[in-house]
Amino acid sequence: MKKTVLTAIGILCAAVLFANGGQFEKAMAKNIPAMYQAADPETLIGVVNQLTRIGDAEANRWEPYYYAAFGYLRLMSMVESTEDKDKYLDQGLAAIAKGEAIKANDSELESMKGYIHMMRVTIDPATRGMQYSGMAMASFQKAIALNPQNGRAHFLLGRMQFGTAQFMGNGDGGACESFAKAKAIFESEENDERSIAPSWGLGGTNEAIQQICEGK
Amino acid sequence: MKVQFLFLSIILSFQSLAQVTIGGYIKEKSGEPLLGVNVFIEGTYDGATTDLEGKFSITTDRADSMILVASFVGFHDHKILLDQNKDKIQIEIELKEKINKLNAVVITAGSFDASDESKRVVLNSLDIVTTAGSTADIPGALNTLPGTQTVGETGRLFVRGGEGRETKTFIDGMIVHNEYSPSAPNTPGRSRFSPFMFKGMSFSTGGYSAEYGQALSSALILQSKDIADITRTDLSFMSVGADVAHTSVWKNSSFAGKVQYSNLTPYFALVSQNIKWDQAPTDLNGNFAYRIKTSKTGFLKVYANLSSAEMDLYERDIADPNLLLPTRVTSDYLYFNTSYKEVLSEKWGIRLGTSFTESSDFASQAGQSREEDISGRHGKAVLDYIHSDKLSIRFGAELLLRKGDETLINNLGQTLNGQFDESIASGFVEAEQYISSSLVFKAGLRMENNSLVDQATANPRLSAGYKLGDKSQVSVAYGTFRQAPSNSIIYRLNNATQENAEHYIANYQWLGEGRSFRVEVYKKNYSNLTRYSDEFTASTFNFDGDGFAEGLDLFWRDSRTFNNTDYWVSYSYINSERNYRNYPGSFRPPFVSNHNFSVVAKRFIQSIKSQLGLTYSFASKRRYNDLNEDVFLGGKTPNYHDLSFNISYLYSNQIIFHAMVNNVFGFNNIFGYDYAAQPDSDGFYASRPIRPPAKRFLFLGVFITLAKNKSISQLPNL
Repeated sequence: MKKTVLTAIGILCAAVLFANGGQFEKAMAKNIPAMYQAADPETLIGVVNQLTRIGDAEANRWEPYYYAAFGYLRLMSMVESTEDKDKYLDQGLAAIAKGEAIKANDSELESMKGYIHMMRVTIDPATRGMQYSGMAMASFQKAIALNPQNGRAHFLLGRMQFGTAQFMGNGDGGACESFAKAKAIFESEENDERSIAPSWGLGGTNEAIQQICEGK
Repeated sequence: MKVQFLFLSIILSFQSLAQVTIGGYIKEKSGEPLLGVNVFIEGTYDGATTDLEGKFSITTDRADSMILVASFVGFHDHKILLDQNKDKIQIEIELKEKINKLNAVVITAGSFDASDESKRVVLNSLDIVTTAGSTADIPGALNTLPGTQTVGETGRLFVRGGEGRETKTFIDGMIVHNEYSPSAPNTPGRSRFSPFMFKGMSFSTGGYSAEYGQALSSALILQSKDIADITRTDLSFMSVGADVAHTSVWKNSSFAGKVQYSNLTPYFALVSQNIKWDQAPTDLNGNFAYRIKTSKTGFLKVYANLSSAEMDLYERDIADPNLLLPTRVTSDYLYFNTSYKEVLSEKWGIRLGTSFTESSDFASQAGQSREEDISGRHGKAVLDYIHSDKLSIRFGAELLLRKGDETLINNLGQTLNGQFDESIASGFVEAEQYISSSLVFKAGLRMENNSLVDQATANPRLSAGYKLGDKSQVSVAYGTFRQAPSNSIIYRLNNATQENAEHYIANYQWLGEGRSFRVEVYKKNYSNLTRYSDEFTASTFNFDGDGFAEGLDLFWRDSRTFNNTDYWVSYSYINSERNYRNYPGSFRPPFVSNHNFSVVAKRFIQSIKSQLGLTYSFASKRRYNDLNEDVFLGGKTPNYHDLSFNISYLYSNQIIFHAMVNNVFGFNNIFGYDYAAQPDSDGFYASRPIRPPAKRFLFLGVFITLAKNKSISQLPNL
């Protein structure tokens, strides 16, 4: 009889654990697309807050913070004033830092950090370009060193290379090479729409190749 | 049966989790509702975001101890333990504002911060090196800021009526002695420290923190770079020499080294000089920096600068211009500095530092010579205590040791030797208290004991800042400052009284998007300045000299109005007099010009892939002592004008060409006059104007970067 009770408790515990694990997957499956699709700042802040709650409640998942940072990047592009833009980018960096505290030296978090630096340049290229483009470039390079198979790092590096080359007024700065690498990596991956690990980038890469590389 | 009951009760306990609804309203102190606050039950996913009216509503499963958290950027988290017996809970929360150092008021009275870290600065460190006419020299660029005086024959920083030696340089908090490389008589020296080694600079023209002592007028606080990002090699070939720099990066550390060799012989062969050179200046200079992260929060920096320079020239005798006086200048220099930073706990942080200077200078002219050896040691420990986001206190202790040895030989072969061995022990404490994010007070006290005068002194430093609006703020600062008199005085009289200054500063600053404006008024009083009738005879010294400086500094910067163009305008008005040295009363010193004005403009022109820079500087007339007139300091120089131009052309990402010309229009600038030691038979003193060694200075260079990443270039360095 005792055995039955123990088994019952055991099953129950397992069920509870499983249910919790499932809760994370379910919450992420709902909030990742919500983050991409939110069309106004109020909705997006709601989603970013939800992602932050998930991150705070889960002790060892970095992904919620990664997507929260992505959400802040999108928020940055929805507001007008420099001060607000900087505020959201600062919050994005803070989210990345929380993610890094859980998983240090992660290629995805590093490329997101570079993405934030890259957007910092767009706020005021004349005064910020020099400083932040170097920081963005360094982040993309580090992300690629951490995981050469990170397609997003190659794609973002390509965008940075193209931007720099445009500024200099010569060529593509190696951007098309980076885009091609990104494309090859994305196409070799099984792209599971429901995956929690970051999987975006193929669309943007194809668009970039079409606009920048194929016209040449 | 019993067991079945237990099993059932476990299941029931899970099912009995009833739902609780929490609703409420979140506002800030002023009563304004807060939009976008993240409100949630701690440890769960359940939560909501406040709407335009600050309202939220959460439905969650009942649990034993439910804590509601309200979290919003710029505010402290607010936590409430919920009553678990209620089904519906209504809550009103007032969030307390966090003092955010980025948006809060900062005391700007007296200080110009140039840093990459904070976005809210009027200048960043790149601005320093891209200023036309500065030739990538830190003091050269800072001389375009208000509060400085153009004193072209020295190249040093003369701040608000202070002499050049009253500005002290600190690297990572540690003092630097003899920071200028040697130069021929009446030609400008350059700082030994390359601006590329630093990530941030704070140039204080008065009222600085109690952490810094032995500087009467100004503190130039340099922060060296952290761990580098990429491994790279840079090569430069210039009309004045060449250098090679390499940076290696490892996981938690980096090493950067730069070796520079400059030799002006080829340049002087092309561009005629007022001076006849035997050996044009040559300089071998090495800079080395090692950085390592010692723990998650610990950081160690080691920095070294070594240089060796020499030059031989002939100076014309003033009375008889055909007589050439052989002149030789040599200098050997070593500076070594370590600094360590660690977080001890949530509230405490520590900084430790040491610096070490060995400097040996020699100059001779026609049988006369001067040789000086200085060795300096500096040790410092600082504890930072963060009581809350509103109150922080800094405690520090320092030991400054300085030894000097000077030998003077005159043209009769007589020798005069002087030495000193100075040890200054000091302690300081400084507290910063934020009342709100728009009001801050800072109070500090610096205590020193100088072994040579055996006198303990206390110098208070007080400042406050108040934010008027989003973009504007006012700040005030007061402080007293102390510094040992110039070395030449201490060699004659070891226990010469230290000099005093008192600063009062009021500042208004407006920081808009891409534009900034500041205006500052100040008053400075000097006391205990050294007076003498013969600077070589200690018995004629007394220390009751005094003086004052008062003025207005204006600064405007705008990178927004004109596309791709950034410019700034500085204007300083100063009125200053001193009764010191051998002055027969209170007079305006020769290094002071009442009006200083400069405009710096930079523009990137995409079509020619070039950055252009233009700097115009103006300084009004300076005084000099005309020995043929009865009036003391009665001579007046003409106004000073300079227009400098530079261009950097990006041939490719890795190769940049750079050209710079000082004084494009060839203005005939005269800084003062030198007089013959003896009058001629008619009682007339022959004279010679002090002017730059050549009307224009031309610099050409090519900079090549070798790095795996082809997009990295030296552009940011130009």
